[in-house]
Amino acid sequence: MTESATTTMPATSTARSTRNSSIVFDNVTKTYPGQTAHALDSLSIEVRSGELVCLVGPSGGGKTTALQLVNRLVDLSSGEIRIGDTNIMDLSPIELRRTIGYAIQQSGLFPHYTVAENIATVPTILKWDRKRIEARTKELLELVGLTPVENWLKRYPGQLSGGQQQRVGIARALAADPPVMLMDEPFGALDPITRVAVQDEFLDIHRAVGKTTLFVTHDIDEAIKMADRIAILKPGGLLAQYDTPAEVLARPADDFVAEFLGAERGLKRLALTTVAEVLAAGRDRRGSSPVAAAAGSTEAGNPVSAAEWPEVSATMTLREALSLVSAAHAQGARVMDAGSHLGDVTLHELICPPADDPARTTEGARI
Amino acid sequence: MSGFAPAGDPVIPDYGQASDCVINNGFFCTDWFASQWSTVFWPPLVDHIYMVLIAVVVGFLIAFTAALIAYRKKWLAGPIGVAATFLYTLPPLALFQLLVPFTGLTLLTVEIALVCFTLVIIFQAVLAGLAAVPDDVKRSAVGMGLDTKQLMLKVELPLALPSIISGLRIATVLTVSVATIAAFVVDSGLGSPILKAVSSPFNTQFIAAGALAVLLAFVLDGLLVLIGRILTPWTRVRI
Repeated sequence: MTESATTTMPATSTARSTRNSSIVFDNVTKTYPGQTAHALDSLSIEVRSGELVCLVGPSGGGKTTALQLVNRLVDLSSGEIRIGDTNIMDLSPIELRRTIGYAIQQSGLFPHYTVAENIATVPTILKWDRKRIEARTKELLELVGLTPVENWLKRYPGQLSGGQQQRVGIARALAADPPVMLMDEPFGALDPITRVAVQDEFLDIHRAVGKTTLFVTHDIDEAIKMADRIAILKPGGLLAQYDTPAEVLARPADDFVAEFLGAERGLKRLALTTVAEVLAAGRDRRGSSPVAAAAGSTEAGNPVSAAEWPEVSATMTLREALSLVSAAHAQGARVMDAGSHLGDVTLHELICPPADDPARTTEGARI
Repeated sequence: MSGFAPAGDPVIPDYGQASDCVINNGFFCTDWFASQWSTVFWPPLVDHIYMVLIAVVVGFLIAFTAALIAYRKKWLAGPIGVAATFLYTLPPLALFQLLVPFTGLTLLTVEIALVCFTLVIIFQAVLAGLAAVPDDVKRSAVGMGLDTKQLMLKVELPLALPSIISGLRIATVLTVSVATIAAFVVDSGLGSPILKAVSSPFNTQFIAAGALAVLLAFVLDGLLVLIGRILTPWTRVRI
């Protein structure tokens, strides 16, 4: 089986939840017994319905604590957490957890259960009937791209690769169709190539099912790629910044955030925009003749003429395109799609992309 | 008529025909073994099996319960472990001697002693099996909303099974062996023909009884391996 099995969306897939499933942290503090320092200090954030928020920060920043407070694996010291309109303390922990999807690093799959039995864990304890469980299991395996499903149902986790286990872990978390998902470094143990594939698939699934998702990761690049908004926690459990990836990269709230993002912050930002977006923006500015405009900007003495610029695909990020342009000593790139030439982008356009999608940048308000 | 008059023919009891092997006291006389099987060997073998099964089942029930309690109340694990180890270190003969005044020369005496020897092995095996359940598996189980009982029945015990089975295997083989000493207390089990044979110079009887005990240990061990395989199919599948 290939790691990059294509994700197909079954027609019967989980419908986008329409009711309020936001996760609200209201002045939440956690201090572990016997410790004076807070693990989490007065955290107030809202994860809106359907939003994917990444909690990032160094170890000791309290990100896993924040996650485990939501499904009450850890008990609050003070403050309040609400899911939708319900205070989590109003439900029994067992009841609460059965309404929350939970996926963790190393997948946490039950080694003595087959794939089908693993996925059916929560539906079984909720006493769904057998037919419904069977149908749901197959639907989820298709959703996570483990097809044909008959090949996977009876396998044990020990027979799966890390990436496949993680897909089953996600399917299991989604099994009872919970409105909310908690993910604790789910892809942390995967090799880089598998990780990218599973990230892409998870993003597709997230867009399809629209679960409100709180996602812990120590990998800032993963957060930039996955998150609608990023909450950066610093040691002592203080919230350093809560904003969209673009905003965090463009305007770090303080030195801690800037340092955490690293020296390549500017380059990371280029990973948020695709070549297609730059091309579209360029057309808007210059009218319908991008090639002429691009050629016009080419300076004399250019080592590589526009006709020999490297070819990039429209779906590439600016960071990837820039890498190719740099490697070719060129001043721009030819944008190709399935053999046809869509237009050119210049080095200047790659480095200074048009402003991000306004929809992404205006969502940065804190509560 | 005098009852003391010598008979016409000398009265020599007829012990039947012995084979050359028996007459020469060979190492192992197959013909004798076969002819004595149904009287000398089969009944003690059946008794031995019962003796071992009762001891292992009772020992398992006690040790398993103790291990579950110790798993919940960690502070109890130490004291229970020390008590079980103490029982394990007692010499079997001394333990029989100690019990006879209370329970007499009965099967009960034997079983109490045999159970004592199984306890520490099964107790430690169950506890080690439960302790070896991976944390991430338990965390995800709890995080998905399994309650304490479901966690134990659906996750912890099944994953502890391989360790529990290997503990049972050791306890069973040990009990088959220790149960031969039971002949000092009751005339039962494979120890009985062995004990009777050691005081006579005849080889076949104790060699055959000893070999049966070894064979029984192998068979019971094999049965447990088989049961283990059936109960833990996930441990055998690898890509």
